[in-house]
Order: sequence, then C-alpha cells, then structure tokens
Amino acid sequence: MNTNQKMNSEKYEAYLKATHRLGRAVSMLTLVMLLGAPFLIGGLLGTMPDIGAAARGFLSVGLVWTVSSIVEYLVYTPMLGAGGSYLAFITGNLINMKIPCAMNARELVDAKAGTPENEVISTLSIATSSLVTIVVLAAGVALMIPLRPVLESPTLQPAFANVVPALFGAMAYKYFRKDVRLAAVPLLCMTLLFMFVPSLTSSTSFMIIPSGALAIGLSWLKYRKARKEAQQ
Amino acid sequence: MSVLDQLNGSGLYLICGGIVLIIAVICVIFLVRAWRAGKALGMDTVKMKRAITSSATFSLLPSVGILLGVLALSGSLGIPWPWLRLSVIGALHYETQVASAAAEQVGITLSPEAMTTQAFSTIALLMSVCIMWGMILTTIFNRKYVKKLQGKDPEKKTGGGFGDPAMIAMFIGMVSAYLGSYLGGFVSGNGRFTFSGDWTPLLVAAVAALAMAGFTWLAEKKHWEWLDNFSIAGSMLLGMLSAVLVGH
Repeated sequence: MNTNQKMNSEKYEAYLKATHRLGRAVSMLTLVMLLGAPFLIGGLLGTMPDIGAAARGFLSVGLVWTVSSIVEYLVYTPMLGAGGSYLAFITGNLINMKIPCAMNARELVDAKAGTPENEVISTLSIATSSLVTIVVLAAGVALMIPLRPVLESPTLQPAFANVVPALFGAMAYKYFRKDVRLAAVPLLCMTLLFMFVPSLTSSTSFMIIPSGALAIGLSWLKYRKARKEAQQ
Repeated sequence: MSVLDQLNGSGLYLICGGIVLIIAVICVIFLVRAWRAGKALGMDTVKMKRAITSSATFSLLPSVGILLGVLALSGSLGIPWPWLRLSVIGALHYETQVASAAAEQVGITLSPEAMTTQAFSTIALLMSVCIMWGMILTTIFNRKYVKKLQGKDPEKKTGGGFGDPAMIAMFIGMVSAYLGSYLGGFVSGNGRFTFSGDWTPLLVAAVAALAMAGFTWLAEKKHWEWLDNFSIAGSMLLGMLSAVLVGH
C-alpha cells in the first residue's frame, strides 16, 4: 500500500466511524419522535393510545413484521452500505424504491460492492431519493385539493396501480442481461411456485428470500468455478 | 367538529410536518457528508453528480405512487399522519395492511364513520411499533455487521471478491420473485391454470423492459450516455402508459 492509498484508507475509516456515530444518533432520534408522536397527538386530541389494544395488535400483526424486518435488515444492508442503510431504514420504502435506486446508481457509475466508492454512491443515492420523496409528498399534501381529482382519476388509476411492475420490468432488462442463464433459474422456479401456489402472491416480499438465496447459490458456484479455472 | 376534521387539524400538521422536516435535514446532512467524503477520497465529481441526478429522476414516479398511499389512507386517518408515515420508515405495501389490522384490534373498521380519536392514537402507535425494528437493528448491529461484510480480505475492499456478484444475484432473485408473481398471478390468479388472472402487471413489466432495451441501445450504440440518467424513469412511464391504454 503506497502513502496515498494509506491516507485514503485512513480517511475512509474515519468517515465510516463518524457515519456509524451519526447514524446511531439519528436513528435513536427518529425512534423517539416516531414513538412519541402518537402520545403527543393523543394529548392534543385529549385521548391517549390504548396500550392494551396496541399490545394485542402487536401480538397479532406485529410479530410477522418483526421477522420481516430482521430478514430485510440482513438482506438489504450489504446492498446499501453503512450510511445508506441508516438512511434507508429511517426513510423506508426499501423494496419499491430505495434498493433499486441505489443499485441503479452504483451500476451507472460502476461502483463495486464493498468499496469506499460504493459506500459514497449508495449514501448519495438514498439521501437524494429520500429527499425527492419528501418533497413530492410535501408538495402533494400542500396541493392535495387541486391534485385529488387528477390522482383519483379513473383513467390514471391503472398507471398508479402498476408503478412496481413498471419498476421491476425496467430493472429486469437491466439485470437479467448481465447473466441470462443465472436469471432463468430463479425466474422459472418462482413462476412455477406462484402458478402452483397462487396464494403466495400476497407474500411476494417474503419470497424474495428463497429466490435471492437460489440466485446467490448459483452465482457462488459460477464464481468458484471461474476462480478455479483462473488458478489452473 | 368531526374526528376527521380533528385529524386534519393544524396541530397534527405541525407535529407531523416538524418530524418530516427533521428527517429532511438528516438526509441533507448525509448527502453533504457523502459528497465531501467522495471528494476527499479523490472520487470523480461527475460520477457523484450522475448518481444524484439518476437517483432523483428514478425516485419521481415511485414517489407519486407513494403519494397515492397518503391519499388512500387520508380518508380514514386524515392527511398529516399518513404523510408522516410514508415519509418516515413507512412502506406503501405495509401501511394500509397494518392500519387495517390495527383498526381491527381496537374494534373498528378503517373508515371515517367508525374512527374515534382514541382508536386513531392507538392505530398510530401500533403502526409505529410494528415497523421500527429495522431501525433498532441498524442502531445496535450496523457497525459490527458492516465491518463483518467488509471483512479483512483486501480483495473485498477493491470489489474483486464475491461481494459484487452476490449483490447482483440477490437483486436478480428479487426481480425474479416479482416477475414470477405477475406470471403466476395471470396463470393461476383466478384458479389454478385458468389463465384468466390479471395480465396488466405482466404487460406493464414487458413494456417497461422493452423500453429499457430501447434506451440501453441508444445509450450504448448511439452513445447517448446522458440518456442513462433517465432511462429507468422513462421506461417506467411508458410501462405505466400501457396500463392506461388498456384501461385495466
């Protein structure tokens, strides 16, 4: 490692350390605000939340989301990096926006996973994406009365109901062409699974896990084979 | 004053708007820090600008979709709370489900007629509690987890290890799950192998993929590299337009 690389490595380590400190602080702050808001609003409305009903509700629906959150955390953090993951878990909308957005940005600038460049690009991408959503939602809320007829227009309803298929269709072309043979296997398996067990369509976000695991497994086999060939 | 009027009161706008503003400031801080770090590490500012521009255009259409989520929930929960929930941590597919389940637990249905102020504050609390775990996990484990992911292997730090193919494979798996659900939904959505399910998501995905192929061809063969920044947004727009044209 030359002097320049060593300096860069030290700078990057210092940046990462500060990012974790800041990330933890702002996550805690958001958590306090988010849990405090229902009580603050309750105080304003003159009726506090019913803790017993909330606890029962948590046992009935919350546990599923807790498991889902753990899986999301383990799966998405490697794609987002340190700064990106703190921001993404604060601002939400991971599957339908933040993850594809960060992947698209790193793809455009050719940043490799695990590199400082990837960390920076991912954070820039998630921060920008979050700000755009905040601005669009704030503008939408401010203009809710004039916008309501447009947003609720029956003609435009099919378009708004299909934002996610449009997003994944575009991303499919972009990623499937990188390795058509690798993509064919999980696509075929998932299609057959959803054909034979149609009720699974309501749990598509959970099905990402076996589908992703299958793709990673196949990719690992290919990677190992290429390495062995390179060594020979 | 009706419950919905109270839920759309200025006090709620102030609380929810204040939190959204703080989150916006946090995003700006992360953005500026990452930009400065990139410059200090000698990264090309053109690349960084490109990442910002493409992310902004990329996020526009999904954000309008998220705005519709605010609209959908505003009928029973007022505007300020759904606005906050979908700006902070929330997810479009999550909020409606949890709000309905929470309403059920407090003994009402999610409708303006049934809503009471106590039911609202309880639903709001449950919506917050159910989705906070990702943030708690990042607070507790992120430092160690990110370090573990980077590892000691110098190859990983230069992007030469399995990290990059693994990330691409994970994403391919994710896209496959969604496309598989559209195909399966069409084939077996109204009964196994009846081929009478909803085909609009399939059409939309196919049109968006074709449009993406066109944009990629223009960028690669005609050297219209600037088009890369808008190709996803443009493809999505064309895909969504196809849904309007078939009217489903």
